[in-house]
Amino acid sequence: MGEVILTMKDIDKSFPGVHALDHVDLEVRKGEVLALMGENGAGKSTLMKVLTGIYKKDSGTITYEGKEVEFSNTREAQDAGIVIVHQELNMLSHLTVAQNIFIGREFKKGIRIDDKKMNEEAKKLFDRMNIDIDPREMMGRLTVGKQQMCEIAKAISHDAKVIIFDEPSAALTETEIQELFKIIRDLKEKGIGIVYISHRMDEIKVITDRVTVMRDGSYVGTLITKDSTKDDIINMMVGRVIYEDPKTESTVPKDAPVVLKVEHLNAGKMVQDVSFELHKGEILGFSGLMGAGRTETARALFGADPMDSGDIYVNGKKVTIKSPQDAVKCGIGYLSEDRKRYGIVVQKSVAENTTMATLEQYMKGIFIDKKKEKEVAEKYVESLATKTPDVDQLVVNLSGGNQQKVVIAKWLTRDCDILIFDEPTRGIDVGAKNEIYKLMNSLAAEGKAIIMISSEMTEILRMSDRIVVMCEGKKTGELDISEATQENIMNMATREIE
Amino acid sequence: MSSGRFLTQGQKTRNLIEVGGRRVEKIKQNPFVKKVGFNRIVLCFVLILMYGLFCVLTQGKFAGMQRILSALNYAYFLGFLSLGVTFVIATGGIDFSIGPVMFCCALVSGYSLTAHGVPMGAAIVISIFVGLAFGLFNGYLVAYWSVPSFITSMASMNIAKGLASVFTKTQSVSWPQATAEGGWYRSLIKVGDIPVGLFIFLAVAIVCAIILNKTKIGRYILSLGSNKEAVRLSGVDVKKWEMISYIICGLLVGIGAIFYVAAYTTVQPGYGDQYNNEAIAGCVMGGTSMAGGLASISGTVIGVFIIALLQEGILALGFTKDYQLIITGVIVIAAVFSDVVARRRKN
Amino acid sequence: MANKTTQTAGTKRSTIDRLGGQKFIVLLVVIALFIFFSVMSPNFRKYTTFVNILDFSYYITLMAIGVAFPLMTGGVDLSIGTGLVCYSLVGGYLIVYQGWPTWAGMLVSILMGCAVGVLNGCLVALMDLPPFLATLCTCMITRGLGSIIVGGFGISWPAAAAEGGWFRSIFKIQVNGTNIPIGFIWIILLVILMTFVLNHTKIGRYTLAIGSNKEATRLSGVNVKFYHIFAYVISGFFAGLAAISYSAIFATVQPGSGAGFELEAIGGAIIGGVSMSGGAGSITGTLAGVFVICMLKTGLPFIGLTANWQQIITGFVLIAAVLVDILKRKNEKM
Repeated sequence: MGEVILTMKDIDKSFPGVHALDHVDLEVRKGEVLALMGENGAGKSTLMKVLTGIYKKDSGTITYEGKEVEFSNTREAQDAGIVIVHQELNMLSHLTVAQNIFIGREFKKGIRIDDKKMNEEAKKLFDRMNIDIDPREMMGRLTVGKQQMCEIAKAISHDAKVIIFDEPSAALTETEIQELFKIIRDLKEKGIGIVYISHRMDEIKVITDRVTVMRDGSYVGTLITKDSTKDDIINMMVGRVIYEDPKTESTVPKDAPVVLKVEHLNAGKMVQDVSFELHKGEILGFSGLMGAGRTETARALFGADPMDSGDIYVNGKKVTIKSPQDAVKCGIGYLSEDRKRYGIVVQKSVAENTTMATLEQYMKGIFIDKKKEKEVAEKYVESLATKTPDVDQLVVNLSGGNQQKVVIAKWLTRDCDILIFDEPTRGIDVGAKNEIYKLMNSLAAEGKAIIMISSEMTEILRMSDRIVVMCEGKKTGELDISEATQENIMNMATREIE
Repeated sequence: MSSGRFLTQGQKTRNLIEVGGRRVEKIKQNPFVKKVGFNRIVLCFVLILMYGLFCVLTQGKFAGMQRILSALNYAYFLGFLSLGVTFVIATGGIDFSIGPVMFCCALVSGYSLTAHGVPMGAAIVISIFVGLAFGLFNGYLVAYWSVPSFITSMASMNIAKGLASVFTKTQSVSWPQATAEGGWYRSLIKVGDIPVGLFIFLAVAIVCAIILNKTKIGRYILSLGSNKEAVRLSGVDVKKWEMISYIICGLLVGIGAIFYVAAYTTVQPGYGDQYNNEAIAGCVMGGTSMAGGLASISGTVIGVFIIALLQEGILALGFTKDYQLIITGVIVIAAVFSDVVARRRKN
Repeated sequence: MANKTTQTAGTKRSTIDRLGGQKFIVLLVVIALFIFFSVMSPNFRKYTTFVNILDFSYYITLMAIGVAFPLMTGGVDLSIGTGLVCYSLVGGYLIVYQGWPTWAGMLVSILMGCAVGVLNGCLVALMDLPPFLATLCTCMITRGLGSIIVGGFGISWPAAAAEGGWFRSIFKIQVNGTNIPIGFIWIILLVILMTFVLNHTKIGRYTLAIGSNKEATRLSGVNVKFYHIFAYVISGFFAGLAAISYSAIFATVQPGSGAGFELEAIGGAIIGGVSMSGGAGSITGTLAGVFVICMLKTGLPFIGLTANWQQIITGFVLIAAVLVDILKRKNEKM
């Protein structure tokens, strides 16, 4: 085990209303891979952003190569040798691969940028990584996996001493992940310290030396990977609350009628020939890795994106859905993964958001009946236990969980029979998560049919009656909850399709 | 927190709610509506202060009724443009073809009146119709083809100018005098010394305020200006409502054209763009956000009065129109920048 | 498997793409327009018309090359049209009424352009104002300013024969009574220079990068604000150059004019393949695009349509060009 190269101690960071990091510690050593684990929203990415100067820390110290440092931007961090491979791809799709890799530090010949040399250097880099990408290709034309590889190549090309991988495998195929591991082992041998952020337990076991776990913005502990079991890590990650009452078998009666049937749905590259059925009172989990095409399937089904072909039957009747309006008419509601962008209108009040999909019910002649609107909004605030001082409150002032409840209320006023929850608990704190779960269960018990897209395995296993697994735009499996395990779901989600 | 047996988590969540609660409480003490009201109060003060300043600077010459009526004449047509563009800006778009389109309306209808002998009533209808047509054109391109609104503005500005010139054969058009046949339209702004125009303008502004705040149209326009995609995913036909905002704008521009000729009678083709900035200035000064989603009709009305007073004052002080161009430009930059700062602080 | 898809995606470029994409089509349009007008009107076929087209093209081309940079950052510069007139008025005023040497007047025009460019850049990049609004305001401001400084009268730069009129021969010289439009040589040189700047220097690279993904560029450690401002400075600088060419070609410059020039320049750039959403574009394409506009501008009167029609048609052409850009992007996404 090498010497310590980077120490973060007592890092504290608050955003308005959220204590994002609560005195967190982290230690990275030369030539080791440190896993940084935690649920979504545990603060891993925030911690790394503090390290690389994107956010300013409120308190705490960062010691790097024996000196206390504070970077004011990523450039400084890069120059010092700390680079991050971002979870979101930071690419410039109109520029070539080589131009992307060397952006901000181009080789120059006089005032001229030496593109030839950049291409050569990029080629050398790829050769060293043993991957085959043409440096002159436009970034936007590459597959997501290749783009990720370019990001990694960019990080390596900085002569970094510490490289942070922020969920690098999420968009990669199994073979690409193997490539990635080879690269990481190679870097490790060269004495580079690596922070590897991931949700995927199997990867952690294979590639990492130590595991640091975070939960709700706090430091929980650090384990030696080979001395600890999966359960040890999971217990540290989630506490016990999340594992309360996992479903063991479906609660849906065998003869429950089919309310939604999708046949051979095609929409672009990300949705290829997807078919499934949804029963009354059922929660159908959609599992898969990031970029598997689950959200795209939901959006095509909802008419938010155009579909190329396929048949949709609602309550046995064939329907044409070309726009969200059509979908809403068929009784389908969609709760987007990205609430702020697609779910709520943040500058409007709770009441206005609640009636967004059903405004015609609250009209008195040509005027909006604000009294009636308010009553309905209040009714749902009460029944969903939304925490807001009153319904005139702007949604922007509510917490994530309560915003989600407002979106749910919007679809309940519409009396939708089919609800699509896309990552329903993303960015919501643990307590509120449980409330959302309870709510979904009671909705299902009332006879609503629910499609739940989730990247959190625990959520899928806890909530679903049946599970559909997708990989690279195709449906790769369907499981009853009684036969579902993390392993067989992950197996299907990473299957190579030929 | 109902099932909070886990001390650390339970506490954390409670803290959060408390934090949220405190924030919410703070906002409640100082409600948003009140803040908008505060803006308007400040604007009113500015208006009065400006009037006082001009009176002092012109050694009292400015205080006469004549100047006020003259400023009002300017405020009417500008007010209609400004009200119209408020709807467009509320959707997060922009329309700076309004000035030239207003001239196009006045020229096309005026030329029909003088050269083709169309009756006055029909001429007014034509003017409104031309305004509507441009609104439809802009709205259709922006909403259904996602052409950036400033591009459609630029294009329709040129089209309006060109069309008006072609139609009138590049001649200026003079609408009839008050005493001439069909001169009744001039009483739209003034009967004797009673500023009828003010009442009409305020009535239209009230209707606009009702549309914006109390009807489905306004609700959807403001919502889609704030987050178009979320509204679309709620099953609302956002394209339709976005287009309607441009059509409302066109309609008001068509009416504005009538008030322009009622005040000044003569229109010349090829001009009108200086009014764009003034109308937009009135609107953004009044608290309508360029980012969309936030609009205030009463703010726009006060903003327009300020601009009209400014123009009258500048002329009274013996400066040319050119100074007004510069001052309006600076006002718009300042107003929009303060909006940007306010939004930055919120995030 | 993944390798193969990349490779096929890479080689799946159409013949048109390899010939230069939109540029090639636009060039064909220019030629087609030329042939059309030549067939319709015998007068169009004259040498003087050819010189005329070039005369019109200088200031529009210069503005278009400049405005291509803000456009490629995803912004726009609406102040170039009235700016041109303002710079020309002030420069001419200094020469004619203040007795400054011609070169000094020209320098002032260019410097004013740069100054307005800096102002635009700061409003957009530092103060986060929407580009079209910020530059609309500077458009109004320059219009007022020019008029105020010269006192509201038209300005005529020195005539070719007069003292200090040498600058007119930058663009046109007379040999045995025939006009030789040598200005086009400068235009070509500038196009080559700016193509180099766009494709082979940091300025161009970062202009495109900002238009493609500003945040990612910032995170790569690029001084985004500086390069963002610089794009507007380039636009202002070229508006200054355009002011000189305008003063050299036309006898008198009138205050209050110039609104609408920017439309022709922006239209030319967009027709030439500069993407409205930023991140893509070329200078040679811009040149070709401008010639579509100039061809229409000079050609339409020959088939009996007034300049007003040209205004209307330019409006529609602009919208058509933007629609093509939008559809192209939609296809790319697929």
